[in-house]
Amino acid sequence: MELQNIEIREALRQAIDEEMTHDPRVLIMGEEVAQYNGAYKVTKGLLDKWGPMRVVDTPISENGFVGLAIGAALTGLRPIVEFMSWNFSFVAADQLISNASKIYYMSAGRFHVPIVFRGCNGSAAQVSCQHSHCVEAMYGNLPGWVIISPSNAYDAKGLLKSAIRFNNPVLFLENEPEYGDKMDIPTDEYTIPIGKAKVIREGRHATLISYSRMIKFCLLAAKELAKKGFEIEIIDLRTIKPLDIATVAASVRKTHRAVLVEEGHLFAGISAEMGFQIMEHCFDSLDAPLVRVCQRETPMPYSKVLECQTIPNPERIIAALETVLL
Amino acid sequence: MEEIGKPTLLMQLNQMLLIRNLEIRGEAAYQQGKVGGFYHSYIGQEAIQVGCVAAVGVQHWFTTTYRCHALALLLGVTPNEIMAELYGKATGNAKGRGGSMHLFADRMLGGLAIVGGHIPIATGAAFSIKYLKRKDIASFCFLGEGAVAQGAFHESLNMAALWSLPCIYVIENNHWGMGTAVERAIAVSPIAEHLANSYGIKSYSVDGMDFFACYALFKEVLNEVLRTSQPLLIEAVTERFRGHSISDPGLYRSKEELQKAMERDPVLLMKAALIENKMLSEEEFEEMDRKQREIVLAAMKFADESPWPDPVALEEGVFAP
Repeated sequence: MELQNIEIREALRQAIDEEMTHDPRVLIMGEEVAQYNGAYKVTKGLLDKWGPMRVVDTPISENGFVGLAIGAALTGLRPIVEFMSWNFSFVAADQLISNASKIYYMSAGRFHVPIVFRGCNGSAAQVSCQHSHCVEAMYGNLPGWVIISPSNAYDAKGLLKSAIRFNNPVLFLENEPEYGDKMDIPTDEYTIPIGKAKVIREGRHATLISYSRMIKFCLLAAKELAKKGFEIEIIDLRTIKPLDIATVAASVRKTHRAVLVEEGHLFAGISAEMGFQIMEHCFDSLDAPLVRVCQRETPMPYSKVLECQTIPNPERIIAALETVLL
Repeated sequence: MEEIGKPTLLMQLNQMLLIRNLEIRGEAAYQQGKVGGFYHSYIGQEAIQVGCVAAVGVQHWFTTTYRCHALALLLGVTPNEIMAELYGKATGNAKGRGGSMHLFADRMLGGLAIVGGHIPIATGAAFSIKYLKRKDIASFCFLGEGAVAQGAFHESLNMAALWSLPCIYVIENNHWGMGTAVERAIAVSPIAEHLANSYGIKSYSVDGMDFFACYALFKEVLNEVLRTSQPLLIEAVTERFRGHSISDPGLYRSKEELQKAMERDPVLLMKAALIENKMLSEEEFEEMDRKQREIVLAAMKFADESPWPDPVALEEGVFAP
């Protein structure tokens, strides 16, 4: 198999470009996606290749262009909408919540909504409290869409291609600090199925469950614990909703201990849901209470000293693992 | 009138009567507890959507608000399907999942019930038309004057004008956003004229109680939009004869005001014009009304006798295959 060493942003760009090649109904729109080549250069070169009808710069009107894209999806197109950041999706919350996630069900299947909303989620480098939200728990509360959050270039490409081919809305969450992360991935086309978690490190003493940018911190924590003789299993959820509880449960039944790591807030977060599902499926297998490492209950502070303390970090993950292991 | 021809005119009067009867009986069923949720009647505004669909045909994309029963009927949803949906039955337009505010047809994107939230959707349908290089259809978006205060309206007009999208926005100005008079909510009047100027597009005003005026205008604007691929803003000045919804007794409006509005009942105006032109007699009108009433009564019977949705299927159809 031939490999290419590319950044996550390039993996995403390839996914979009390949799907635009396969299907003339696929287009991408958003702020600065065309002439500017993307705020984070994910759409670099696409305007030159596909022209302004398929690579569409929008005005700064999230509610308007998200609704427009949903209307286009209802009438035969397959739009990809880039949010420069998921923080701006709140401006379009009515369109996302009242229309995108509902229309298939409330029209009893007459209209489906094949659309991907993508952009960077969570904190970046000191962008403070209005630009650092994790949206997965907020949107995850609602039925009618899928939420994907890859942690590496291989998953990013394969999952984005599956998302574009999916006939329902997909919320695709990326990370600004990770766009430049490189990895060897196949040059040939491939897809990754939606809804499948992956065991990325095998172990027998405890399971770390996370996704997206926090996977990096989990790997660091697992390495630290290995020095003390503990083998930590790590599961990368990849798809947050639907949650692949089968993969999670199989691991917890093996290790009997689990720590759940989530960049977003504690209250009613993804790990709260996951913890409950683990309790439902693995109650008899647990040898220690579950422990969560989440963002503390503060708006995101600006100072880097505070920022790295409010989101999970390797030290807090190590401490949590020690709690369940010792 | 000669141009449209007697058979078409009688058919359109029939449509108005069907809508009128369906709304009257729908409200009655609501009072009997057979219909739940919110119920927004189209009574008083019939000439606008009847005139529009009669003039432009059903092949376009259409989007409207929660006040959606009439448009669904006009776009081919049967009275049975609508009544069954109002009753929440399995045979309903959306299998009892949408209700009064969420009716759909093959070319009708809703029945969407957040004020202003449907306007970008209609704009997206116009985007698709342009993307797919269709030169023969347009997207029609009906909205109340209350929605003009929403950002979604302005964002849509801006994008439609910017990108030359074939979208026809129809403000049905019935003067009341729930209980708030238009002059207490919207800073400019006439609305369409002012706001179309803001976005560099054309606007038209029309007497929304007059079927003939609506018909003529929609015929003209469709041709214009197909020719220019520019959006248009229409203000149809109208009156709703009921409250905002069934639970609204309309205490903000005096009896005299309402009575005055009802003197220009679009059904009676059309009837009078047809009688004057010897296309219709009083007896024939009564007979038409009776027939439409019977259709609606049969729809109520159908809805009554239809099965409830099976709770076993409750969680099916959240996702498309």
